[in-house]
Amino acid sequence: MFHWLEKNPFFFAVGVFLVIAFAGLIEILPNFAEASRPVAGLRPYTVLELAGKEVYKKDNCIACHSQLIRPFKAETDRYGQYSLSGEYAYDRPFLWGSKRTGPDLHRVGNYRTTDWHENHMWEPTSVVPGSIMPAYKHMFTNKADIATAYAEAVTVKNLFNTPYGDDIKAGKEAFESYKPKILAEAKKIAAEMKNQDVKDAVAKGEIPEIVALIAYLNSLGDSRYAAAK
Amino acid sequence: MNALMVKALAFAAVLIIATIVVVKQMHIDLSDPINLLTMIGAIAIAVLTAGVSAKYISQMKTDKAGGELAEENWDGIGEYKNELPSGWAYSFLGTMIWALWYWQFGYPVNAFSQIGQYNEEVKAYNQKFEEVHKNADKATLQQMGESIFLVQCAPCHGTTGDGLSGKAQDFGARMSKEQVLHVINNGQNQLGYPMGAMPPGMASGKDAEDIAAYVAGGMKGEQPAAFAACASCHGADGKGNNGMAPNLAEYDATLVSHVLEHGKKGIIGRMPSFKTRMTPVQEKALAEYIQSLSN
Repeated sequence: MFHWLEKNPFFFAVGVFLVIAFAGLIEILPNFAEASRPVAGLRPYTVLELAGKEVYKKDNCIACHSQLIRPFKAETDRYGQYSLSGEYAYDRPFLWGSKRTGPDLHRVGNYRTTDWHENHMWEPTSVVPGSIMPAYKHMFTNKADIATAYAEAVTVKNLFNTPYGDDIKAGKEAFESYKPKILAEAKKIAAEMKNQDVKDAVAKGEIPEIVALIAYLNSLGDSRYAAAK
Repeated sequence: MNALMVKALAFAAVLIIATIVVVKQMHIDLSDPINLLTMIGAIAIAVLTAGVSAKYISQMKTDKAGGELAEENWDGIGEYKNELPSGWAYSFLGTMIWALWYWQFGYPVNAFSQIGQYNEEVKAYNQKFEEVHKNADKATLQQMGESIFLVQCAPCHGTTGDGLSGKAQDFGARMSKEQVLHVINNGQNQLGYPMGAMPPGMASGKDAEDIAAYVAGGMKGEQPAAFAACASCHGADGKGNNGMAPNLAEYDATLVSHVLEHGKKGIIGRMPSFKTRMTPVQEKALAEYIQSLSN
């Protein structure tokens, strides 16, 4: 029946490719489609959290901290529930990292507070004696890039259908009218902080990087689930 | 018996003898079934090699090819149109049936799951842990509690439990005066005790000051009359009526487990909930250790 194939090496190669590709597809695709879906109840990052994510990337936290808890008892004992692929659905790009000089941060929002992060970023050894993490005092004065974070939210909304509300849309006007919401969120974080310069800056309508970063770190964990209290 | 067969038998005999010589030379213990099986396997391979080679060499010498030639040929080398040997055809059908079974039942039911393995591992570990430490003595619990404390609690409460100069609860004492006043003025309804919410303003002014000083002082000395307002829930000794309300005198196991489960927001700041992160034995151990810090 397929005797003619033996005379046509090209079509034979095409046939072999099709058979192997089909086998690959039915193994890979269903699992991939399932795993890339957001887990139930997951909300996308707020604009302030996205700005914090940018700070996280800019100051290269990923060089020493991972965001992936593997299903091993030693890891879940220390960091909490193992990570699911659907939890990264709104991470573009995800920040798994591959080096743990410091601890994993994928659920750091569950067991650290705004107050703790403030102390720790100002002077890590004040809360963790012997820590080799450097201090990040410049984050208390540098201003977070809210405009870029807003643009990122608009982009992922338009491009990937990330479920942001209708109030996030392109244009300077839309950004200006959305700004108070970002500021309100920043004020909540600042209220739990002690640094007076940061409080003053937020009261003036500026958002220091540390506020955005803490918002992002607090979002790592259960608080990103709509069902969470 | 032709000359080829003789050669083949001789070749097989040489291989068998070589195998036995090696076994003897290396002093291999044949009472071990693995060694014995390996030797039998080596001999079988020797015999099969000789036999199969002899068969095909003799076939090459004597066989006359026949049958219908396929049209195509490669540089003059042709191919006969042979039927698929029936053994091959049946095994092919067999693999197709097996594939259907494997696809529908075999794989889905028996698939390896990393999470499944993790769950089994954790379950087995926890069972063993609970059993080993069911009746753990105080020293073991305190030691266990210290390890847990250093990993889970020390980042905020400090490695010595002193609360890092006011950044978190200081375990050297139960409550400070400011904390007691804060609770009296604002009430408390976070810890999920059976007594329920404590309303704000149970005492005020001088009474509240007296209660705060008394509780912060470790409930020693003469009890102020105003403490009667507290005693109705927390007990006359302030120990919480056997777990009905928070213990004001010391860190008991009930208090530790309630705070771990619900977290707490007080005058110092907010402590997140550590729900599901510790087993009951670990919570008990942590309570033992925290108690030892204030003694």
